[in-house]
Amino acid sequence: MSTPLLDRFVSEARDLLQLAASGLLVLERNPADEAAINDVFRSVHTLKGSAGLFDFPAFTKLVHAGEDVLSAVRDGRLGLTSELVDTLLDTLDQTGAWIDAIASDGVLPAGADGLSKEMTAALRALLPGDFGTPEAEAPIAQTGDLVELDWLAGLPEQDRLAAFSAAVGGAGLLAIEYVPLEDCFFSGEDPFALLRQVTPLHSLSIEAGEPWPEIDNLDPYRCVLRFRALTTAPRADIEALFRYVVEQVRVAAVPPPALISVGGDRHEGPVYGDFVDDARRLIVAGDWPAFRQAIGALRQFTAPTLRVGSALRWLEVVLAAPDPVPGWLSGLVDCIADGDADLVLPAASGPAPATVSAVAPVPPPIPSSPGRTGLGTISPMAIRILESQRTLLGLPLPPGGLAARLDSVARTVANLLVAEARRATDSALWSAAVDAAMAQDGVAPVVEILDQWLTPDGMSAADAMPTPGDQTRRRAETGDHPGGEVKQASRVLKVDQAKVDALMTLIGELVVSKNSLPFLARRAEQVHGSREMSREIKDLHAVIDRLAQEMQTAIMAVRMLPVSEMFDRFPRLVRDVARKLGKRIDLSIEGADTEADKNIIEALGDPLLHIVRNAIDHGIETPDLREAAGKSPQATILLRAFQESDQVIIEVLDDGRGIDPEKIKASALKKGVIDENCAARLTDQEAVNLVFTPGFSTAAKVSDLSGRGVGMDVVVTGVEKTGGSVAITSVKGRGTTVRLSLPLSMAVTRVMVVEAGGGMLFGIPMEHIAETVRVHRGAVRRFKQAEAFVLRDAIVPLIRLEVLLGMPSSVWIGDGSEEDAVLVVRVGGNLIGLLVDHFREGMDIILKPFDGILSGIRGYSGSALLGDGRVLLVLNLKELL
Amino acid sequence: MPFTFTKNTVTAKETCTVEDALPLLEFLQSHPHAKINLGPCDHLHTAILQVLLAARPQITQMPGDPPLAHWLTQTLGSPARKTAK
Repeated sequence: MSTPLLDRFVSEARDLLQLAASGLLVLERNPADEAAINDVFRSVHTLKGSAGLFDFPAFTKLVHAGEDVLSAVRDGRLGLTSELVDTLLDTLDQTGAWIDAIASDGVLPAGADGLSKEMTAALRALLPGDFGTPEAEAPIAQTGDLVELDWLAGLPEQDRLAAFSAAVGGAGLLAIEYVPLEDCFFSGEDPFALLRQVTPLHSLSIEAGEPWPEIDNLDPYRCVLRFRALTTAPRADIEALFRYVVEQVRVAAVPPPALISVGGDRHEGPVYGDFVDDARRLIVAGDWPAFRQAIGALRQFTAPTLRVGSALRWLEVVLAAPDPVPGWLSGLVDCIADGDADLVLPAASGPAPATVSAVAPVPPPIPSSPGRTGLGTISPMAIRILESQRTLLGLPLPPGGLAARLDSVARTVANLLVAEARRATDSALWSAAVDAAMAQDGVAPVVEILDQWLTPDGMSAADAMPTPGDQTRRRAETGDHPGGEVKQASRVLKVDQAKVDALMTLIGELVVSKNSLPFLARRAEQVHGSREMSREIKDLHAVIDRLAQEMQTAIMAVRMLPVSEMFDRFPRLVRDVARKLGKRIDLSIEGADTEADKNIIEALGDPLLHIVRNAIDHGIETPDLREAAGKSPQATILLRAFQESDQVIIEVLDDGRGIDPEKIKASALKKGVIDENCAARLTDQEAVNLVFTPGFSTAAKVSDLSGRGVGMDVVVTGVEKTGGSVAITSVKGRGTTVRLSLPLSMAVTRVMVVEAGGGMLFGIPMEHIAETVRVHRGAVRRFKQAEAFVLRDAIVPLIRLEVLLGMPSSVWIGDGSEEDAVLVVRVGGNLIGLLVDHFREGMDIILKPFDGILSGIRGYSGSALLGDGRVLLVLNLKELL
Repeated sequence: MPFTFTKNTVTAKETCTVEDALPLLEFLQSHPHAKINLGPCDHLHTAILQVLLAARPQITQMPGDPPLAHWLTQTLGSPARKTAK
């Protein structure tokens, strides 16, 4: 499932995540940086908005939670600690991982929902106390008391009994009424599945909201069902679960007694007279064990379908509560005594659980403003909250309840004013009104001021117009920024790399064709004898040559990326690793805008990662060690990039403990990488270079050593693959510098062409070639099969290229006075002489790696077309030798 | 396709999605006395549930998942009682 839209989302999301992560790091250093928090917030917000286009609820929820936390941070209600940054970065990482999954599979990985829920909960737990689950709370609170609870009695008794015992056990009981939209199936909702996720679900009733049509006229895609459920799940869970259909769901707290109702067949009275008398006495005495026994005995010979059976079951459940309520018990007993009468429960007798009082309005809503539009204005959400407070004040009050309600409203509105950053005068006005209301024991002054604020021009800002209905809320939730989109359409073109590569190939071919012009010129002169024609062709060649070169440069520039692409992930890495190791490191980056070919940037990521990690892990000391050594406890790592002729240099400098050559030597000796003679001859620099030896780095426990070593050969391999080189210098106790030299571009390779095997041409990459020499045949020494010659007092092994490539070797005829052409190449630090037939010219070629069935052939790095149409095979000396 | 239609019975398997509602409805429309076996089914989409509620086919077996079977029995009636009729 990959659509252009999804692809765009993926690439955009990656950018946004990167932006958010770097913003967070800036913020951690300087929490007061308003621009940074706004950047982070905007990135996360945009990400949430785009994610909403797709069906990734787990993703959206997590991002949303992150956004809420950031919003709290932005409003100053939550301090930004390193731990918080950790959590947020983790969230971003998880989101990034999901983006990868979406990019490859088009769906979130299995288990994403659970993970999202956990992380969302963790994030929300960070929010300050007065900042709950915002937009779910507000509408529910407003409509909470509007839920009709009379359907409760219609639920199966078994379910009600179960719910009741859970509720008197201490859990708050919630009734959920969910009326899905008629077209909800088209938006991918499955209400039944949603309700099945409610745990514990004590009761679920599913009804049609209208009579069923004839089966032939049924529209299966129009949802007409209505769901009602009872649960003891925490309200927050329910809100999280129904977050996307919040407009269609009503939730209300249910007092446990509302569940009690007795049903069943009528019974004859007198039989139970004794029981009723006993029961009343036991209730008054509060002798619950005896009462329980009496009930148990009676149940034995009562048919379960009778009303009495039902009442008895209820009695048992009520009694099972830790603190049975006598009022409920006597109500049930009365019901048995009467046999006919409806159950009448005294509303608030005895120590009823706290939930009873919650039957009227649900606890006051909590101020929140995820969609606030800015300082000095008031968000639609805030208006909704104010409206709900106003409604709350208008509701009938239980006697003596005024103070409590006024208090909660006062606090809510005060918090809201703070959250909305209202002027101090507003807050003052409000507290004065509250005081007045308290004094005169009436809500009038408070209502007045709320009314005043709720009229459109009461609030100072122009966008305070309260728009009723759900659109407002939804807009507030998704937080449209109409201007943002337009600004983003910058003058940057995102092009598929394959297109640029195709262009590159075409230019390569142009260069090849152009190179055939000199051949033509020579032919014009030699075969046709026209010097004039030859000169004209040469002139033309010069022009085309210039154009081709310019084109090549231009297309290279397209492929160039700033090294910041690669550097950007290091602040995060350094911070994380340093925190983990308890080190204090300041990372500075220089020359982040230096450019290099995209392939090089990409190939360099891992090697550089190794180097920086090594620097932190082994190079940098802990703060106390540093102080003991007389250095500042804060270590510095400098990442520096710059251009030097046609190479890009990247350096990683640290001011750590450096590499101790003696220790390296000792360790290398122990590992058998070098022998003692060798060790004695090594200079310090050579010793340091030992860290690049493969055997050295793979040895266990190198990290105990003061120097580097882990994976340095990986670095060398990675860098050499791009045609670059690595050098390391270190001063013991002062720090280490790793220097990577890289070609600017991988597209053009400079090779030297040699002839071997009787006229065949081979290209040898220039970076391997040390020198070309002519060796006297008499000077070649043979040791059994191997040949060697002496070059400036060093013995250089000699290898015949044709033998190496398995071609028939030319027969040597003549005396020893003739000279052979030997190409001295450097492979892995060793000099080797390659004996060839003839040297030819050096040239720039566009190297094409083998593909298809040829790709398995080793020993060649690829091929290139020559100007005269011949194919040049370029050797991969590392593989060959 | 989670539904297997045979002569006069439907067997629902695994998760029945919203796309399966229409084939089921069409089958039930053409077979007014069809029976349905929900035994191997893990979840019914609301749309399926709706079709079952409207068409009220005879249910021979409830799903193996106890909570699901419980809610479906409450909504659609128990399979035993239906067969008794």
